[in-house]
Amino acid sequence: MSAISIQSVSKRFPNGFEALKGIDAEIRSGSFTVVLGPSGAGKSTLLRLMNGLETPTTGMVRIDGEIVDRRKVRHIRSRVAMVFQQFNLVDRLSVVTNVLTGRLAHRSWVGSVFYLFRQEDLGIAREALCRVGLIDKAWSRADKLSGGQQQRVGIARALAQRPKVILADEPVASLDPVSSEEIMTLLREICDRDGITVVVNLHQVDLARRFADRIIGMNGGRIVFDGKPEEMTQSVLRTIYQREGIEDDTSLDMALAYA
Amino acid sequence: MNVHDLKSARPQPLPPKPRNPMPVWVAATLAMLWLIVWDLEISFETLAYGVEDMAEYFSRYGQPDFTDLSRYLYLMGVTLATALWGTVFALLVAFFLAPLAARNFAPNVVTYRIARETLNFMRAMPDLLLALIFVAALGLGPLPGALALGVHTAGFLGKFFAESLERVDKGVCEGVASTGANFAQMVMYAGWPSILREALGYVLYILDRNVRMASVLGLVGAGGIGLALHDTLRLFDYGQSAALILVILATILIIDYASAWLRRRLD
Repeated sequence: MSAISIQSVSKRFPNGFEALKGIDAEIRSGSFTVVLGPSGAGKSTLLRLMNGLETPTTGMVRIDGEIVDRRKVRHIRSRVAMVFQQFNLVDRLSVVTNVLTGRLAHRSWVGSVFYLFRQEDLGIAREALCRVGLIDKAWSRADKLSGGQQQRVGIARALAQRPKVILADEPVASLDPVSSEEIMTLLREICDRDGITVVVNLHQVDLARRFADRIIGMNGGRIVFDGKPEEMTQSVLRTIYQREGIEDDTSLDMALAYA
Repeated sequence: MNVHDLKSARPQPLPPKPRNPMPVWVAATLAMLWLIVWDLEISFETLAYGVEDMAEYFSRYGQPDFTDLSRYLYLMGVTLATALWGTVFALLVAFFLAPLAARNFAPNVVTYRIARETLNFMRAMPDLLLALIFVAALGLGPLPGALALGVHTAGFLGKFFAESLERVDKGVCEGVASTGANFAQMVMYAGWPSILREALGYVLYILDRNVRMASVLGLVGAGGIGLALHDTLRLFDYGQSAALILVILATILIIDYASAWLRRRLD
């Protein structure tokens, strides 16, 4: 059973830029998928379509058989959590309040607008913070934390949603190598232990190789590779990262020599 | 561009400089200012001659008369209360209208337009005019003053808040939105916490402005220290007038320092 189903999706932005040019993909429930590709390949747009942050120009995206569209977007989002490159926490709120934000969709607005949460939700938030190892920082303001810690709060917020799917858009692009390792291990462990489907956009080829069940390579708004990490050879990497109009690209050779 | 190209690249001329229209704008503004002075026949000579007369007039306020100080302080209290209630009213209205008038939070274009035009309308109504209307409708006293200040400054506060909300980081909004939060939850979690400091600054500014304005509103019968000042001025009682003006000045200074202190505390 596929958790995410993408059918002939294309996306053209109002400024005329065509980010996606016909994408078809099925993502299996409980799998760990990495989307690789150069900047501007359409990775972010693809991920954002799965959570309703963008709407496709043509085609459709289904989550567990349900079409992602404007009217059902909040319902979809309650089950499809998102982790961002810039963490996107509310700086002035405490860590635990940021995590509790993950419960908003499950509750009516009456109590939540006054920052009143049920014991049950506090329990879920506590559990999520323990999972990411930040329980002692619960009452710190979110902007007082380091980048790696903020990203762990982002993951705790996602966990608090009790989601079916976690989408992570370049979750380690702003982090140092050690924090990156922590975050990727955490996401992998969430996938394995909770059976949550994880889709991650990455720039780092080595991380993709080590953590993914499946790698989708994108270039210029199209899928140019789809397979297991061990199937991703040097020539495949060349296709993923090749740049339009440049023959004999020495920068590409140098970059991939150590990938 | 390729590493190979970089090495062999010969120095190339700088691309042509983009046009900068700034000097034209500055020149046009100066020309317009000069035209206005010329058209209105504003004469700086008259101003120079008038300085002496003005100095003489102000010298009449030289001996403030504080014999009735306790009454002045009571009246100042009434004026402060008027300003405070006006500000609270403005804050309440702006709190509910501003999110609807912020493009990134408004649920749809229609509510956005309606909220924005409502705020514009409130702002466009001068508070002196509103005070006259409310005094006619509700009778003399601080209540019409508070209402007039409230309606007028709700328009300001709402606009300030809406503009701050529009500057909230797009990522923060997406972070909260991606959890499936609804409109009210978006406003309470992504909106207000992010602009809290700015918003407090605006509220304090509006309070400061309302205290000054409430002193003037007394002139149209809305009570407080303004009414007393109006009376003493009409009786050419310069001593008492000077005392009243000093009381107002001191109050505004105190509020200014208090709000600066409050803002530091919140940081």
